[in-house]
Amino acid sequence: MKGGVASMWWSQGVGSALFALALAGSAGAQARRFERHFNVQGKPVITVQNATGRIQVRAWDKPEVMVAGERASASVEIDTEQVGNRIEIATRVISENAAPDALRADYEISVPAESELQVRSDSGNVTVDSVHGDMSFDTVAADLALQDVEGYLVIKSIGGSTVCTRCSGRLDATSISGNFQLLQPTMDNVRVQTSSGNILFDGGFMNRGIYVLKNYSGTIEVRFSSSDSFDVRATSLYGNVINQAPVVPDRHNMPAPRNGMAKSLFGSMNDGRAKVELSSFNGTIKISKRE
Amino acid sequence: MSQLQCAQFEQMLEEHDGGLPNAAAAHVKGCAECRMLWSDLEAIRKAGTEWGSEEVAPPEHLWSSIRLQMESEGLIRGTTAGAGWLASWFGAVPQWALASASISLLLIAALLASYQTNVSTANNFSAAARLPAQMSTRSMREKVVEADLGKTLDGDLKRVFESLPERNPLLASSLRENLGIVDNLIAVCEKSVREEPNDALARDYLYGAYEQKAVLLATATDRSALEVQ
Repeated sequence: MKGGVASMWWSQGVGSALFALALAGSAGAQARRFERHFNVQGKPVITVQNATGRIQVRAWDKPEVMVAGERASASVEIDTEQVGNRIEIATRVISENAAPDALRADYEISVPAESELQVRSDSGNVTVDSVHGDMSFDTVAADLALQDVEGYLVIKSIGGSTVCTRCSGRLDATSISGNFQLLQPTMDNVRVQTSSGNILFDGGFMNRGIYVLKNYSGTIEVRFSSSDSFDVRATSLYGNVINQAPVVPDRHNMPAPRNGMAKSLFGSMNDGRAKVELSSFNGTIKISKRE
Repeated sequence: MSQLQCAQFEQMLEEHDGGLPNAAAAHVKGCAECRMLWSDLEAIRKAGTEWGSEEVAPPEHLWSSIRLQMESEGLIRGTTAGAGWLASWFGAVPQWALASASISLLLIAALLASYQTNVSTANNFSAAARLPAQMSTRSMREKVVEADLGKTLDGDLKRVFESLPERNPLLASSLRENLGIVDNLIAVCEKSVREEPNDALARDYLYGAYEQKAVLLATATDRSALEVQ
């Protein structure tokens, strides 16, 4: 009997301790959560600097910017500042000796659709959904996913990859080892360069559009439909050019640059309204028909 | 001076590292183009030597002139009295490693811009007779640029990478991994240029690869400066 009572007390004690721990954990998590609101008018400019962690930016229909999220520990602080329509958000390290995992901060940011964004991240994914303003991204290892965005997009990455789905406007992107995928784009000016990454352009070429895709190694693939109209210049110095497009000699009498070693393709498809320049050092260039 | 002599002069430059042999010195006196080339090479060598020494502070007038130039081009804004412009750019604690890297970047930008100008100038020359000399001088400059650029970049990258904080291992490992990729590209492109020295496309890729390395240095410098802040 005594054993039974002792056992009951022991189990109650353990239960209480676990409950207290859970409460403390919950309170800690609560303390690490943050949410801030900023009223804005027109087109705000939002700057986000976060070395490690996820950044999700989504458009909504309120004239307000909401910054919510969670920091991994008290070793980082979230700084925000509003000056008129300019809002700056930054993760600040306040403990020099913290473990790398403790320096993470995850953001969920809701912005008016016409917002301008400037995002800087070292690692952790960045996603932007339905924002229609100019935006720039400066990342090291962070991957970038853009969806239904519109504007002038500038991307500078070192190793992070980019997937841009239904993006409109203009794109200037560079990376060293990152891949780029442009899916269903409606962009009239695209310049993408990566050293060892792959580039995929799967969408229509707009009239008067200019598309310049370049890498050193890896694959550059563009997919065309039979109604697309473009001039193409594809050159791989030591690699291959694989073409499925029914191109004819350039309709605009542009001379093809001569290089004895390079694999090249020069020509026009339909009226050659867009200009497509594909170049690689030793990678493969594929011009494929869209299924 | 005949082009043959100019070509011999360039050959001598390649073979003699350091001072000029007597014959070359005599040629320099009479040939404005080679004199300019020699002067450029000396300036680059001197700069490379100075930047290789960590203890030597750059002269004040150099900072001032660079600052004025960058302000005039809108690259930086004027600073408040009492705070050094370098401190405002790189944070509260200026580090010579970062300053040195920034100088390298300025040099690289200038050299790459000069290279672009040379290419464009060479392309526009209508007087075919001047092309061999022009191209010859250009290729000579490029050889020196490649050699010094590589050394300068490697030295600065080493310093900047060492200053990256240990608390962000992913950042450091990504930068190192990409440095390996770029170095490999440079090696492949250099091999290609050596095999086909007259291939402008191969040379373009080589310079592009150096540009990538400069971008990497800029990013590492930037991140390092942020961490200092």
